[in-house]
Amino acid sequence: MLSPFVRLAAIVILVLSPLTPLAGRLAAQSDDDTEERTTVGGYGEVQYLNASGADTPGEVNVRRFVVYLAHTFSQKLTFRGELELEDALIAGGEEGGEVALEQAYLDYQLSPAFTLRTGLVLPPIGIINETHEPPTFNGVERPAFDQFVIPSTWREIGVGATGAIPGSVGLSYRVYVVNGLRAEGFSGANGIRGGRQEGREASFTNPSLTGRLEWTRPGFQVGGSFWYGGSANKNPALGTGAFDNSVALVSADARYDNGPVSLRGVFANLSIADAEAINTLYGGQVGSRIAGGYVEGAYNLLSVVARKSRQRLDAFARYEHFNTQAGVPTAVTRDETLARRIATVGLTYKPVYNVVFKGDYRIRRNQAGLGEDEVIGLGVGYQF
Amino acid sequence: MRLALALGTVLVCALVPSHAAAQSAPPAKVAGSVERIFGPGARTDTVRVDSVSVLRISRAGALLGFAQVRNVKGKDQPITYLVAIDPTDHLKDIDILVYREPHGGEVAYEPWRKQFRGKTAAGPLEVGQDIRNISGATISSHSVTRGVRRALDSLTAWHASGRLK
Repeated sequence: MLSPFVRLAAIVILVLSPLTPLAGRLAAQSDDDTEERTTVGGYGEVQYLNASGADTPGEVNVRRFVVYLAHTFSQKLTFRGELELEDALIAGGEEGGEVALEQAYLDYQLSPAFTLRTGLVLPPIGIINETHEPPTFNGVERPAFDQFVIPSTWREIGVGATGAIPGSVGLSYRVYVVNGLRAEGFSGANGIRGGRQEGREASFTNPSLTGRLEWTRPGFQVGGSFWYGGSANKNPALGTGAFDNSVALVSADARYDNGPVSLRGVFANLSIADAEAINTLYGGQVGSRIAGGYVEGAYNLLSVVARKSRQRLDAFARYEHFNTQAGVPTAVTRDETLARRIATVGLTYKPVYNVVFKGDYRIRRNQAGLGEDEVIGLGVGYQF
Repeated sequence: MRLALALGTVLVCALVPSHAAAQSAPPAKVAGSVERIFGPGARTDTVRVDSVSVLRISRAGALLGFAQVRNVKGKDQPITYLVAIDPTDHLKDIDILVYREPHGGEVAYEPWRKQFRGKTAAGPLEVGQDIRNISGATISSHSVTRGVRRALDSLTAWHASGRLK
């Protein structure tokens, strides 16, 4: 029962509302953050590798093709997942290739300081395990350190939290409880890599704790990470306790990225408390300590020859030094070929920041001087 | 009673947003950001250029600058940000009004935002040149930087052509 005048006033206000400052501010109010939305992304890399030596012809390979899918159910609830195809083809009865879930978790964002994360997650250790899209790192292949010491892409099932430390500027954390490693997969040459369960009917008898604290400034990040958990998987010979046959890993990393200069380095130390018992049971040569790291520097050559260019051409050099038998139990004789030193030099060309063309030359050496080689690599990669 | 009802209706009508932005920031955030950048007591008028809303900021009749609220896509969520320029087309400041992803929120912090102050459409405004990256949030850093560059280009062009004054 509105008077004609009031109705007219309402109509006038409605018509004029886009022109008024009040409405201008209110236009920003419509909150369709509650709307569902799905985002598709992905990354991939194609490589050519040719190692020196008689029986190593050059090889081309679609190393990875990964589809990233995120679905936002509400302002607070988002699913994020990555499905990965490695080596292009999986065929029945043939070896090679792999289809794998690389990540699949639900984020419940309660505040900037606290997001509850549940599902198949990446232990937040080092640089590459979490940030492994090809345009984010130099070199055709990921650093070998991130294969043998930190077994990237390392993913396990669990629950945890991530967020910014309240009151800080740039301090953030991630901490998860995940399923543990299985000692039967450990080896002298590949460290703990074969002990990952990767979300496949994983045993949860040895819950493990992993986390990271990082400090981020523009162009700079320093972080510290850890993993602690048992690996006995209730084998009576190793122990039935949750933390029996413990694996303890600590790692530190830093990234600097300012104008034409980028630098990064990672160091990790991993202790396997009862390596001797593992070797006795499974007949392996598992080291009691795995350690190493790498340092890398790069310089954008286009900053010198084409200052106005928005593209990048980085010349880089990386030196890796690690040993999967840095310590051995008394019964194991050190395999000196596992004390590895790898020097890589190469070029990284990015026409845009998320597309990359790579070329590099790797010199692979070890303490024993056996089986050493050099590898030429070419690659393309992308992320979006 | 009837008057109260009528006033209520008018108010509700005025509150219904006439243009639903794809993604948006709470109005209090926008107002707070304008106040932080231009100081308290500034007057904000919304003007439209090519169906785009631009905030015109003034105090006692004197122009303080212009601001625009925009969105870019981060890794999987939109990032809502504000770009403000002064009357001489220098970037006054940016604000991240809503950051929706659990990582990379450092783009909203002062140390990252302050890199943009004083920039003009002459650029370069490019990550790896005059803007530093946020490690682990490469996509967000690049998206916001590119978005700021576009906003600065538009505002400067509109101002130069007299469509903003």
